[in-house]
Amino acid sequence: MSETIRLRARGVVRGRAEGAALVADATLSFWGEVDPVSGKVIGKGHPLEGQSLAGRVLVIRSTRGSSATPMVLNLAKLENVAPAAFINVEVDSLAALGGIVNGIPMVTDLECSPFEVIRTGDYVVVDATEGVVEIRRTEAQASGGG
Amino acid sequence: MELTPDQRAILEGARGPYLAQCMRWLVEWGEVMGARRLVRCDNTHVLLCVPNLVARGASARTLETFAEGLKEACRHPVAPHCVATVHTLFVTLDPLDVPENDPGQVQVQREIAEMAARAGYLTTFTCAPYLVGNVPLKGEICAWTESSAVVYANSILGARTVRHGNESAIAASLLGVVPEFGVLLDENRRGTLLVEVRAELRHATDWGALGYFTGKIAGLGIPVFDGVRRPSQDEAKQLCAALATSGGVSMFHIAGVTPEAPTLEAAFGGKVPRERVIFTERDLRETYAALRNATGDEIEAVILGCPHASLREISRVARWLEGKRVADGVRLWINAARVTRSAADEMGFTALIEAAGGRILCDTCPTNMRIACRRLVTDGFKQAHYARGMTGAEVIVADTEACLRAAVTGRWMGDE
Repeated sequence: MSETIRLRARGVVRGRAEGAALVADATLSFWGEVDPVSGKVIGKGHPLEGQSLAGRVLVIRSTRGSSATPMVLNLAKLENVAPAAFINVEVDSLAALGGIVNGIPMVTDLECSPFEVIRTGDYVVVDATEGVVEIRRTEAQASGGG
Repeated sequence: MELTPDQRAILEGARGPYLAQCMRWLVEWGEVMGARRLVRCDNTHVLLCVPNLVARGASARTLETFAEGLKEACRHPVAPHCVATVHTLFVTLDPLDVPENDPGQVQVQREIAEMAARAGYLTTFTCAPYLVGNVPLKGEICAWTESSAVVYANSILGARTVRHGNESAIAASLLGVVPEFGVLLDENRRGTLLVEVRAELRHATDWGALGYFTGKIAGLGIPVFDGVRRPSQDEAKQLCAALATSGGVSMFHIAGVTPEAPTLEAAFGGKVPRERVIFTERDLRETYAALRNATGDEIEAVILGCPHASLREISRVARWLEGKRVADGVRLWINAARVTRSAADEMGFTALIEAAGGRILCDTCPTNMRIACRRLVTDGFKQAHYARGMTGAEVIVADTEACLRAAVTGRWMGDE
């Protein structure tokens, strides 16, 4: 048994991608808080510290922009450890640039708070071109497995 | 976004695939950020750096592909009307006897530097382009990387630049245009937060403390400082860097001082500030205390010149060090642009610093190089913040003179 939730969102960086969600109601700086080679969050005390971003749909409040954000995303992409897509509450211009350059779709303005409907481990399809986010959850996850 | 026929032709490949890609980056980014058009840009500050230890452990293929991307950028000339300076590196091009300066990466960086110079870039390799001749005029549209320099350009010089990444700044250099959004527009340059300063700012590092305190509160907003005197260039540099470290600030105003804030009212565009905070003597002390995390007083390094040191700062350090000696086991780094060091060489300052056992580090800084260090003292809030976060060092942030006292004694002796 599984459930699927479809939500509208505003596409920021066009494209379609899917993967397991990684969720934190927090900001994240790709410069200094993410290792582009392991793809892991290395920021001390960050709620996602130690987690890998590789292939994940990253659901966070926003990234904190740095000139080096697109560079870190580029290196992560080359090492195959970049996130698959961004679902952000606020759009950081440098993450948007990094998404455009590296082909990582981004959506914002989800019709409800992403932190209320998406849990870490949910399988999420982000279609930023159509402006749709689909959340697929198996029963095991729904009962608290995620 | 509305494009001119020429811009559309470039997007469709009239000037080749690379410039088409550059135009696509600018157009798509502009659309995301709500720009309606591209506007002329005559001034850029770009990143053209190999990652060195930022990509520690990356595959040879990743490093080659990344470097090839930079080389490809350098195969196209900078637009004739554009001045383009180059940001700090993650290596130094000088011989430097530390394992962190990977010789293979240095060689690739040299090749890129030569190609960049031929393409028309000024290979300044600095985070403070405004100290080495890139000084845009009020109202000039720029495309700068390096958030601290962006804050300086917008606030102190009254030039206009959003925070750029490497691809957008390179595209702007080659095409001579940028998408018009953010602080390029008058309506986005007004203050959002009033900061009443009731603490005495005694030296540049205190200005850094004010910036570090304010950045945390301001987020992406525009703080307006009231109750402060006119800062020196070096003090302004610390304020800008700290604001961009703890927050995402692109600009600020100082009532009665900065070019777009002749009065407090003008700084807010006639509107009432959304938020108001007071910066007290206690806030000043607590801002230092919150960043300091040293568990002992023996130190391994002293790092000055974050952002890169001005000639005046180098001269001050050189004269202070004359006849003194940096303690055994302590490394004293003064980070600066190569052209600033050349001037310091000419003026005899470099010799005084080296005679005392210190060193001017060009093109980069110890934190960018990820030089390992257990405990360091620095006069820059930005350096302290990133050294603590990225290299795991214990840090003490303090006024330049207190840093120098620590360098010659090998111990942190306190602020006074």
